[in-house]
Amino acid sequence: MVKPQFLGRTGTAMDDLLNDFLAETAEILAEAGGAIVAWEADPTDRAQLDAIFRFVHTIKGSSGFLALPRVTALSHAAEDALDQVRRGNRAANAALVTGVLGVLDRLNELCAALGQDGSEPAGDDRDVIGALVQRAEADAPHEIAGVPLRREDDLGADLQSWRSIRVPLPLLDSVMTGVTDIVLARNEFARMLRESGADLSLIASFDRLSDSIAGMRQSVSQMRMQRIDKLFAPLPRIVRDLAQELGKKIAFQTSGGEVELDREMMENIRDPLIHIVRNAIDHGVEPLEDRVAAGKEITATISVSARQSGNQIEIEIRDDGRGLSPDALVAKAIAARLVTATEARALGPKEKLELIFRPGFSTAAKVTAISGRGVGMDIVKANVEKIGGIVELRNDEGRGLTILLRVPMTLTIISGLMVRAAGQYFAIPRGAVREILLESGDTVRIDRVGGGELATVREEQYPLLRLETILGRERHDGDDVDDRALVIVRPGQGQSYALSVAAIHDHEELVIKPAAPMIMATGLYAGTTLPDNGRPVLLLDVQGLLAAAAIDASEAGRSRDRTAEAEAEAVAARNAAQLLLFRDTNARIRGIRLSVIERVEEVPVSALFESAGRIQAQIGDEIFPVHAAALPGGQGTLKLLRLYDGQAVLCYPIAEVIDIVRLPDAVQPSAAPGLVAGVVLVGGEPVELIDPFWLMEQYAAGAATALTPRQPLCRLADDRDGWGDNFLAPILRSAGYRVIADGDPSDEAPDVLLCLTGDDALCLQLAGGVPVIRLRTSIAAAGPEDETVYRYDRQALLDAMRRSVGGAGK
Amino acid sequence: MMEKLYLVARIADTRVALRSRAIHSVVTVGTPVEVPGAPPHVAGLFALRSRVFTLVDPHVVIGLSAVPVAPGQRVIVVEVAEHGYALLADEIEDVCFIEAPETRITGKLLPGWARVADAVIEYQGASLLVVDPSNFISLPTLIAA
Repeated sequence: MVKPQFLGRTGTAMDDLLNDFLAETAEILAEAGGAIVAWEADPTDRAQLDAIFRFVHTIKGSSGFLALPRVTALSHAAEDALDQVRRGNRAANAALVTGVLGVLDRLNELCAALGQDGSEPAGDDRDVIGALVQRAEADAPHEIAGVPLRREDDLGADLQSWRSIRVPLPLLDSVMTGVTDIVLARNEFARMLRESGADLSLIASFDRLSDSIAGMRQSVSQMRMQRIDKLFAPLPRIVRDLAQELGKKIAFQTSGGEVELDREMMENIRDPLIHIVRNAIDHGVEPLEDRVAAGKEITATISVSARQSGNQIEIEIRDDGRGLSPDALVAKAIAARLVTATEARALGPKEKLELIFRPGFSTAAKVTAISGRGVGMDIVKANVEKIGGIVELRNDEGRGLTILLRVPMTLTIISGLMVRAAGQYFAIPRGAVREILLESGDTVRIDRVGGGELATVREEQYPLLRLETILGRERHDGDDVDDRALVIVRPGQGQSYALSVAAIHDHEELVIKPAAPMIMATGLYAGTTLPDNGRPVLLLDVQGLLAAAAIDASEAGRSRDRTAEAEAEAVAARNAAQLLLFRDTNARIRGIRLSVIERVEEVPVSALFESAGRIQAQIGDEIFPVHAAALPGGQGTLKLLRLYDGQAVLCYPIAEVIDIVRLPDAVQPSAAPGLVAGVVLVGGEPVELIDPFWLMEQYAAGAATALTPRQPLCRLADDRDGWGDNFLAPILRSAGYRVIADGDPSDEAPDVLLCLTGDDALCLQLAGGVPVIRLRTSIAAAGPEDETVYRYDRQALLDAMRRSVGGAGK
Repeated sequence: MMEKLYLVARIADTRVALRSRAIHSVVTVGTPVEVPGAPPHVAGLFALRSRVFTLVDPHVVIGLSAVPVAPGQRVIVVEVAEHGYALLADEIEDVCFIEAPETRITGKLLPGWARVADAVIEYQGASLLVVDPSNFISLPTLIAA
């Protein structure tokens, strides 16, 4: 009676092939769009051209195999046109790029139809292909006839060489569900084992199983992670098309593409991100003349960057346009009857900006075809908040707007706070909890005002919600009044309230599953979870509770002079240093300023190696120094804090991340400079504070040479047999010189000339005033006057170099 | 063959033949966890093999008053739209093949039963209402919406 599971479109082998083709093509088309825009910006960029050529070539190849004549014809036409450019028979111009983009668009349409119907729809592509071909004739009147070259010859970097495989998403999801079930089953089993009083050897072997399950869960969550690159891929194309349409000049950049995000989260932020970027182009960036008038560069810059902080991902969309004008926003909001003039006067600067999140608000003076599609920032905000994220605005009026999306890395496993009310347990997402206080504590005052309740905590007021009341339950008789606690909840930006519960239980890592639709429909719950005790627990929807209680939890205007204060506090909190607490590899609890950490990496132990007397780690394609005295033994994985000082990266191995807290003001400094800068008290426990300055200093020396802005340039002259390039150049480069060979067209004047020939006259002629070092092949000098250097005498050579350049070499 | 397989049980004080297609198993439950604020036919949550199931009280769906869940009570586990549910059963009789054809309901039923019952079937000399168990889960939600 188990329902059969269909993994994607299954059935025939042909269907599988078609699925693979569609998935691959969708990926290629997304990437190709970005590559083409980059290429248009710099038509001499041969690498981009080759990449685009490879893309269409791959599509053509696979489509021919699947008998998709339209796709084949389209990709063939694009391939042909690009090949003309590659051979220099045709110039790359905007018309060609538009033509190729037109082909890509048509391919996209065809693939969408293919995915739906399973067959290629009938139709005519002559319009699109014609656009490409015509131009070809006009641009390239003479085509060189002759030997046909094999195009495949230079397809060296084949797409197939990626060491990865394609897995259908439903399969991945079912693995994730399976593992989640295993974790839950383990929890239940652990409880039964404890209750049965099983003997120690049984428990020990269960623990081993338990550990490997935990490892597996980790790997599976990683399997669902995707580089955020994927999300960024369609953006350059969108920016290009829109900028062209609106007659604006925009330079678009992305960074942090290697940051990883759960693919489900990715789906959820795709539309908000695109919407924000479109908004920035349409509303943010001024028309050319306005930019000139404002004394700005004509070309506007829009940048999208991602970074990981803790278990959250921050995506920043920054433009250097006109920014938001609070007064204009207010005027518009009044005109749109979203607020009254009286209400508007009471708004603080931040609340004025946040008017753009009100439903029905549109900043454009007129509804444009681009952003004014009835989808506003309110939808963006709602979508981001739905997945537990927040949207933040950083406005610099006249100079640009930055929008920050902060979303959790993964949805399925969250850290939760267990509370009790009406005799049963509920979970609250830890991320939304700001503070926990005892109701009977000295810092808390509760007032009954006109039937409602207000909690005042350290002179700050919060609306008070009693969980039992919202849930429509009576207080449980067994509850001790002294246990009652207030949880200060921050469901979203600018909102907070105090939730009164019967007792606080503990923190737990919870696997969250959606509850049945009729339970979700109450709006009170965000899902269910099964903790170790085996009794289901409901996860409260902290935003939904607000709606159910029908109270206004907005922090705005709770007290007039407090707004500014709260603002200042928020700024202070942002600026206040945060401390990452972690357990060191030798089990000591230490802390380090969060801001110096770029991200936390988890690498297999085998990624660490010893080289040149220090421990290094290979992460992706890069190698970083690691702060460790010896290679860690054993197997499995290792967590590394990646410290970044703006120039260099250093990895610091840790056992686990514990928490992120505010850095206490009082630091007991240590006597001498060293790894530990001092000791601070966090929650009453002493914590050693790592000194990132000292740490970076230890490793900076090695990295510095590579980063010296101006490295002396050394030219190899008369390197006939390639000895200079093969034997000499690597030594020079590692000593901090840049090396160019004889034939190099660079017209930068070298700082020193290395002459590999015995011909003195030629050397002098080549030198032209630049210091010359001549090398000889024989070990013995010709005489006391001989200034040549024996070519295998490394020290003498480097000394000579240093004398000539006054060098950076060491 | 599966079409002919029925679970004969007494639910909401009535003997019915439940179509077995959606039925997962029949199990006993302990005390369920209440869901404050949920619609009245939701009798609570319980865990089974590390999954959370929503317990539905057919009495309420039919329009009768809710019955308390006794520990050890038997419930019929069904799967609807990838969520697990369980129907409180007063009594489980048998799982059996019924060769007789399903026939149209003649006569007037209580409004609650009229909503969930699909047909009538002849079984061991008695007429039983044929009910798809998923009706108890999806119908009340539709009515509420």
